[in-house]
Amino acid sequence: MKEPVYEVFARKTREEPLRHIGFINAMDGDLARIYAWKTYDEQNWAEMCVIPRSAIIPIDPGESQFVTAARDDHEDEIVHSRGTGSYGGGDVAVKEAP
Amino acid sequence: MTETLAAAPVFEKADQLPEDVRAPLRDLILALADSKRILGLRYSDRMLGSPTLEAGIAASSMAQDEWGHARLTYALLGDLGDEPKTLEHERAAAEYRSIGALDADLPGWAGMTAAALLVDTALSVQYAALLDSRYTPVHNRVQKLLDEEKFHFQYAAGWARRIAQVPELRDELVDALRRYLGPALAWFGRDEAASVQALVRAGVVRGEPSALRARYLAKVGPVLDETGTAEALGVIRDGGEWTWTGRQDWAGWDDATRRAGGELDEETAARARGDKNRALLMD
Repeated sequence: MKEPVYEVFARKTREEPLRHIGFINAMDGDLARIYAWKTYDEQNWAEMCVIPRSAIIPIDPGESQFVTAARDDHEDEIVHSRGTGSYGGGDVAVKEAP
Repeated sequence: MTETLAAAPVFEKADQLPEDVRAPLRDLILALADSKRILGLRYSDRMLGSPTLEAGIAASSMAQDEWGHARLTYALLGDLGDEPKTLEHERAAAEYRSIGALDADLPGWAGMTAAALLVDTALSVQYAALLDSRYTPVHNRVQKLLDEEKFHFQYAAGWARRIAQVPELRDELVDALRRYLGPALAWFGRDEAASVQALVRAGVVRGEPSALRARYLAKVGPVLDETGTAEALGVIRDGGEWTWTGRQDWAGWDDATRRAGGELDEETAARARGDKNRALLMD
């Protein structure tokens, strides 16, 4: 079983925007929260969030660092599958699984 | 009732406490501090060789948390006439009052998970009973500690769920949970102990041991149920309450030390005291 990837976002004050600070592997959202909080603890963060990488829809997958490779078991299947047109576009170039 | 509570005295210093409360409070705080220290040490033994890098980092952080909690808790004993540094660095193994279940190493990752779920949570429930204590020095320290413990509980619950899904590891998990559940429940103590009654009567501890056991089971019961281990452990939901069907054996139980015989080994105590680097200890 391969663990899903969660992207970690945080900000130091309420005024500043959330920014991407890294990622972790975790079996579920609960563990992802803990791992993120304990791994990226170099700052006194005002807020931290974790987001399953599979939930991120890159506008341009070819340029995005967040593209999730599709797998046979569909566990981390790419959310923005070809031709959904969900963001007004047609087919998008999807990175192939290695 | 509310008026009675509001009019009750608060104790800002230990010398304001009733005579019959001081010694039991010292016993309780020392048992908490020692248990935290040894739990941190046991966690630290599991942070390398964890199933994933992230799990190891989190275990390492939890070990640090426990040692921080221990340090905070030992410091409370200064007000009760102890020298915290002496307690931390000068005691023989036989003087440690850590929960007996931690006298031995945590058995594998299932043991790490079971101890985090059942022992760590028992300590948290006992600390939570000090949140509204009339002995005010404990207030601030306890809240911060409990905030950190929320993560420990989620970590333990997450790993218990994960291990329970692996058929070849289920029995190991049940064995590890069984190893800690009875001792953790006993550790809250006996309602009828005079020392316990004095602490509760003075409003220093909020809840008798039986009430704390119920709060504890209400917290861990759903996780045991979710992992399909509750029945094997004798934990059942009876109406709205979680109960344990096991029988508590109080033979040899010491209300002051919260132990039923046995003692920490000298090697573990030496690590807890920091003997190896004693020459570097600063005043």
